[in-house]
Amino acid sequence: MTSEQKNFAMNDARSMNRRRFMTVTGSALAMLGGGHAFAQGQPRLRIDPTEFQPVPIAITNFLPGSPSDGDVGNGVTQVITNNLKRSGLFAPIDQAAFIERISNIDVAPQFQNWKTINAQALVTGRMTRQPDGRLKAEFRLWDVVSGQQLAGQQYFTSPEYWRRIAHIISDQIYERMTGEKGYFDSRVVFVDESGPKERRVKRLAMMDQDGANVRYLTRGSDLVLTPRFSPNSQEITYMEFGQGDPKVYLFNIETGQREIVGNFPGMTFAPRFSPDGQRVIMSLQQGGNSNLFVMDLRSRSTTRLTDTPAIDTSPSYSPDGTRICFESDRGGRSQIYVMAAGGGQAQRISFSKDDTNATYSTPVWSPRGDYIAFTRQGGGQFSIGVMKPDGSGERLLTSGFHNEGPTFSPNGRVLMFFRDPGGNGGPSLYTVDISGRNELKVPTPGFASDPAWSPLLSSTAGQ
Amino acid sequence: MKVKVDKTLVASIALHVLVLGWGLVTFSSKAYVAPEESLPIDIISTDQLAKMMAGQKTGEKDKPKPKVEKIAEPKPEEDAVGKVTEKKELIKTNSTPEPPPKPVEKPVEKKPEPPKPVAEAKPKEEPKPQEKKPDPAKEDPIAELQKKLDTKKPPPKPVEQKVAAVQPQQQPKPKERTFDPAQIQRDLDKRAATRHELAGSALNASASLGSATGTAANNVATWRGAFQGAVKRCFTPTYNGQDADQYEADIDIPMKIDGSLAAEPIVVAVRGPSRSIAQAVAESAKRAIVQCQVYSFMPKQQYESWKLIPMTFGLKDML
Repeated sequence: MTSEQKNFAMNDARSMNRRRFMTVTGSALAMLGGGHAFAQGQPRLRIDPTEFQPVPIAITNFLPGSPSDGDVGNGVTQVITNNLKRSGLFAPIDQAAFIERISNIDVAPQFQNWKTINAQALVTGRMTRQPDGRLKAEFRLWDVVSGQQLAGQQYFTSPEYWRRIAHIISDQIYERMTGEKGYFDSRVVFVDESGPKERRVKRLAMMDQDGANVRYLTRGSDLVLTPRFSPNSQEITYMEFGQGDPKVYLFNIETGQREIVGNFPGMTFAPRFSPDGQRVIMSLQQGGNSNLFVMDLRSRSTTRLTDTPAIDTSPSYSPDGTRICFESDRGGRSQIYVMAAGGGQAQRISFSKDDTNATYSTPVWSPRGDYIAFTRQGGGQFSIGVMKPDGSGERLLTSGFHNEGPTFSPNGRVLMFFRDPGGNGGPSLYTVDISGRNELKVPTPGFASDPAWSPLLSSTAGQ
Repeated sequence: MKVKVDKTLVASIALHVLVLGWGLVTFSSKAYVAPEESLPIDIISTDQLAKMMAGQKTGEKDKPKPKVEKIAEPKPEEDAVGKVTEKKELIKTNSTPEPPPKPVEKPVEKKPEPPKPVAEAKPKEEPKPQEKKPDPAKEDPIAELQKKLDTKKPPPKPVEQKVAAVQPQQQPKPKERTFDPAQIQRDLDKRAATRHELAGSALNASASLGSATGTAANNVATWRGAFQGAVKRCFTPTYNGQDADQYEADIDIPMKIDGSLAAEPIVVAVRGPSRSIAQAVAESAKRAIVQCQVYSFMPKQQYESWKLIPMTFGLKDML
């Protein structure tokens, strides 16, 4: 369990007490502070916005510390603007509308100029190359309405990592404005597809979450499928069709080394790491059926989790590691089930109300624990949706000819999946937020499928 | 003598009279009534309506006082009665009356000469953009990526992070002449006041008893709806995720009589599964309250009822 997850678990345990305290304290304060109003029998006015509006934010060009830093400053501004815009929560204001030109980030801006263009927040920054060759990045986030500085940080890095600095700054802005962790400083591993449809070459590839910095991890000589990130983000597990049966492999991103997971007689597939990164859960084919097994990566011991005359596959851990969700056709059709991580009685959670013939597959548990995302096939369409772990609150986010393989962003707010339009084309990657309002294509060099989102790279972001 | 009446003539006359009469009634001119401005409304019960229209039972019927808004300055009374002044004799003089002032000659306005055609119009210089637009981020070409594949790049080094020592902010330099639309608006509003308060010996805000408006002036529903609408316009929360309906922020808003904020809005309580998200909701709400002021439509005579406005901001309908 990472420190972040520990904190999450601890916070979760404390949250109940704190919630009670907040409510009680809040009520007491309300009686004191609002006593005047209540004395007159005046009920609280209530406002619930009926539609979501992104927050207007002004992002000025990062000033160059020296004339040669102009390009990197503009690049950082562009990456931040793109990140915040793609999140769907912010509406960056066109720079052509700016009235004031920031010439020194250490001087408070004239807030009236930014209020005039309806900005609620303002980002200013500076990029300066240091005498030792490193790059210094500074930024300030201002609340235009109150005139207060909300955040201010500086970072030092090697010049080639300027994009990562831009992602970290984006996360800072996102967290300060929304109260949630960001997801921009993260990567995605996926299957890059190239060549004609009948001789498609599939390679493992990795990129930043915005589609930049693509790296190819395999050469494409063997078919690869279902790559999954380890929680420590240094390792990937995936299935590869090599010589003989397809097998599950571990791949170290740093060293490039790979090793087979277990030595089973049949095909192994659909692997996924446990939240602590110490185990890999997967399916093992046995005749016409497949069952779930978990392997401890330290002791190399395996444990059978299911034993049914059915196809059990696509297992995914809950963030606390106590439960798993998986798909199984034990009831006749493929549906989603939840059971304890150590095995036992499984409970079906997917029940389509409008289409009894609909099937559910590829379940994946949100890092926040609040949702399980899935692929639903029904009515001649493939849909990506989410439901609560008890099966309630099912919501389809996007539907079409072929949508499949959802993966959650590190903060659980966005899903990435692949969409194949059919015909002679190939699949592409898309993101959609869990409200289903903001769907965007992710740029990739060629066709792309089977995305898997990494955890947040910088645990320091947001401190 | 028998008068022969032509029935068709009678029928014709009767029809003409009918048509003319209908025309007079239908095509009579009507005064143009300008459409009224839309006002925020609240649905109220019949009891509330009856209460509003009832008038004040304690009012006196016989002695309606003229409506005043301000107590006049006390003036020493002059005893005009019985004060006899002697009539002054008219003094005749031979001086001729002063000639009436000559009419002021109007300065002849010089008409601007029409612009002469220029022989060769110089091409106008393109206006330079204020700020250089950022270059699009350079995309890594696939060729480079392939190259990278062969020469395996070390993973990114952990980025050093230091909390910026926020320098004491320098005072902004004396203002240069800048374009300030708000200042222009303020200047435009400096028009001579056309209405003055009515002064009298005693305050009497109600001009009539049991009038059509009744106690409508005391109906808080009118300003409550308007205030809600005004703040809602600026409220842009940044959360629309799961359990959005559980997030709420109670905020008290201290107000001045002119409709501006007397102090910063006070966050009384926040609720929701995540404290940081709930806090962000409260901050969005505070921004909305400050951004949308001044609430000049608030009725001054009811200031006591909205001196401190308690509000709850929620996200019930966000998902």
